[in-house]
Amino acid sequence: MDLRPPRNRADRRAVTWWTVQGLIGAAVAAVAVGVPYVLFTDRPLWLAAVAAGFVAALLALALVWPRAYYRLSRWEVTDEAVYTCSGWLFRSWRIAPMSRIQTVDTVRGPLQRLFGLSDVTVTTASSAGAIKIEGLDHALAAGLAERLTEITQRTPGDAT
Amino acid sequence: MSDEWLRLHRRTFLASAVMSMALVVPLVTVLTKVLLDQEVALRLVVAADAGATVLIIIGVVIYDVLRWRATTYRITGERVELRSGIMVREHRSIPRDRVRTVDVTADPVRRVLGLAVVKVGTGERAGDDKAELTLDPVGRADADRLRRTLLHRSPEPDGTPQADATIAELRWAWIRYAPLTVWAFVGGAVLVGVAHRALDIIGVELFSLDALGDLWDRLSVIPGWLLIVLLPAADLLVGTVGAVALFVESWWHYRLDREPSGTLRLRRGLLTTRSLTLTERRLRGVELSRPLLLRWGGGARVKAVATGLSKNDKETERADTLTPPVPLAEALRVAQEISPGEHPALRAHPKAARARRMRWAGFAVVMLAVATAALDAVFAWVPWWAWAVPAAAVPAAAYFAADAYRGLGHGLTGRHLVTRSGTAVRRTVALDRTGIIGWHFRQSVFQRRAGLATLVATTAAGHGSYTVHDAAEAAAVDLADLAVPGLVAPFRASGDRDGFVTPG
Repeated sequence: MDLRPPRNRADRRAVTWWTVQGLIGAAVAAVAVGVPYVLFTDRPLWLAAVAAGFVAALLALALVWPRAYYRLSRWEVTDEAVYTCSGWLFRSWRIAPMSRIQTVDTVRGPLQRLFGLSDVTVTTASSAGAIKIEGLDHALAAGLAERLTEITQRTPGDAT
Repeated sequence: MSDEWLRLHRRTFLASAVMSMALVVPLVTVLTKVLLDQEVALRLVVAADAGATVLIIIGVVIYDVLRWRATTYRITGERVELRSGIMVREHRSIPRDRVRTVDVTADPVRRVLGLAVVKVGTGERAGDDKAELTLDPVGRADADRLRRTLLHRSPEPDGTPQADATIAELRWAWIRYAPLTVWAFVGGAVLVGVAHRALDIIGVELFSLDALGDLWDRLSVIPGWLLIVLLPAADLLVGTVGAVALFVESWWHYRLDREPSGTLRLRRGLLTTRSLTLTERRLRGVELSRPLLLRWGGGARVKAVATGLSKNDKETERADTLTPPVPLAEALRVAQEISPGEHPALRAHPKAARARRMRWAGFAVVMLAVATAALDAVFAWVPWWAWAVPAAAVPAAAYFAADAYRGLGHGLTGRHLVTRSGTAVRRTVALDRTGIIGWHFRQSVFQRRAGLATLVATTAAGHGSYTVHDAAEAAAVDLADLAVPGLVAPFRASGDRDGFVTPG
């Protein structure tokens, strides 16, 4: 594609955040698989192997996926537009002109707060989906949201 | 306009009393059936029915009186306000310059009583139905006055015509397109199914009635091969009559006008009359919609790409539909009137897009064959001729894949971005370039290998986004770059080319 990658990546800490999230998911899955195995089966060896394989795959995913996602997701905000790109099997580039942005939100989940991270969501008047920038340093995200809001308020009209 | 608070029309009580019959008739039927089964005396049954009827009507009218007392509206210089709610009080207020559409509907009961329901749409996307104020009902004259007041704009200085200009009017020849829907083919069967269900509820078994039993006996005399011809023929006849009746009900007195105040007005309907007015400033383009059967018949419909038309409309026609099914040439003319622009020559998409569609078709046929084989292996009851299904699917799938590829196209004119795609429904959308509020490029790993990409233009109007499927990679980026100058250029890998490139 004749599109250059956006200039910025998520905060480095986002990798840790996504990894912790994935490990929690893997742990929940391990319990969900392990408890019925102990309680409701005759504990055959082959089933233990299948279950262990499943949990191991989740663990591997939790370790590999955040690093890959970090490398592939990029974002950029210029004076004219917000530009993001992500994905590998299904690549996706989004561009929203500054003059058409309606709202800018920052969202912080409990885990994210622990790592000092925020997501920024940029919405236009279209129902076809907002642009999301994930895993930014909180101070950076707040500043970005403030800047975007200020720029969009300068534009007259209802951005449709 | 006066600032005082107004009430809905009092005759609504009468309308709801009449319409409570929709509740009375089925309930009384069930009640009668139950009581007769209990062998209650006929006099008592009649008394119980009468009692139930009176109770229901009184209940409905009391509710309507409470609703009427709770509802007031007013139109000030700046705002439209509505207070409503019996238990939970609600006060909604819309700035008048946010009003995009005014929809006036009168079903047969309200029509006879000189009433109409007015819906004022804003085009805001916050909430589903909250973007609309509904006045149910006001008098006919009030409805028309509201329509004029709310959407009145002073005429443009550049010589907008002062009289209504008719864009399209019903021609009865168009009725030939009415049966070209799926409903004409399954309508009869659906009707029998619904009748069977409805009668089943009140305890009548449709297929065990003596009359039908007789009919069945007589039918069994007819040889099987004739039945195979006759039953679909009867189904087709019922479906066609139904589709034609629906066309007449929906499109009687159809008329599309451009009013001097810068609004489009669509009027239609035989029993339920409907008038939709929308401001042209809210138009973001126009869509030509051609479902498969209609396309084979050479017809098309025109739809508006506008902000503020409700999505989940339960009417027989969607709110954005501007014409009945009409001949293609007529549809093109109306589209041109509504959103004038050069007629673009659409560019075909690369052959790789055709290969992709052929692969999808091949995959579908293989899945069908696998399913047949699985049934054969598991149940061992699949007759040999069941294999005719995947076999017949081969040419059909190939045809539709080729047709889907032929449908792909895009173009750019001074005013519009034009995109065409679809087989089951082929849509050609001319989207105002100024109405594009963002781009989304997509590329799967398969598209990447084939050098294709999908471009989505997002907009505040219509479906919210319009897609150019499987264009050549470079063509997709060029198209976006040219359609909204300056937006994509800073992000191109090859640098800012100042629009020297042409779409490929």
